[in-house]
Amino acid sequence: MADQATFESDVMPFAPQLYSAALRMTRNPTDAEDVLQEALLKAFRGYHTYESGTNLKAWLYRILTNTFINKYRERSRRPSEVELGELEDLYLFKRLGGEESTGGATRSAEEEALEGFVDEDIKGALESLPENFRMPVLLADVEGFSYKEIAEIMDVPIGTVMSRLHRGRKALQRALWRLAEERGIPA
Amino acid sequence: MNCHEAHEQMYGYLDRESGVVRRLRVRWHLYRCPPCGKGFSFEYALRLRVRQGCRDELPEELSHRLRALLREQTDGQG
Repeated sequence: MADQATFESDVMPFAPQLYSAALRMTRNPTDAEDVLQEALLKAFRGYHTYESGTNLKAWLYRILTNTFINKYRERSRRPSEVELGELEDLYLFKRLGGEESTGGATRSAEEEALEGFVDEDIKGALESLPENFRMPVLLADVEGFSYKEIAEIMDVPIGTVMSRLHRGRKALQRALWRLAEERGIPA
Repeated sequence: MNCHEAHEQMYGYLDRESGVVRRLRVRWHLYRCPPCGKGFSFEYALRLRVRQGCRDELPEELSHRLRALLREQTDGQG
């Protein structure tokens, strides 16, 4: 059982990460602040239910995710299978010319091309995904949670996490490719 | 393991979610097949770029406000 007296020192180190995640979820700073504040208050009140020694970060993200979903779920816009469409593996790599290029350089031209994206591109591409796909990509690729942890955070079966994560990643690559095309990033 | 099978295992491999035997089989394929190796390496680099690109600073004013709010709660409980 965790002690509320240590809550601030235990939890505030996670605040910048939680704020970044809230920004990706809500896509605007005002709502992100509201979600973060509400989630921290919930976490504080429920801190006695947190078992010391278990994964505090995952516990906090579960509260943050629930707070976001309860407050802002995009009810009107349920992402369907059709919306993302079927995308191939290595979507971005192939379009950046990865399959044709040769040579065994330690760092390929395609990897170098990633430096052509600024942080705002990456954030925008992630935020362009429908919520059902954006959440697993955020939790796995940005926050580093395992499939099992994501399943617990989002309260969905592990198989659902995997399929949404895989498809969300490809959709993210397509969003980045669209940006690259507009800008003329690829060689 | 052929290229198609390796690609089917790609996310499980990169996410470190696949078992030891499967990992070794994928790794052996990547060792023998440089094009697949490059593709996997790109996916990994992209993931790092995404992670790196999604960090925002917590505004100082917000941080102060949150801490004050939490202290209020603690004090309220005596």
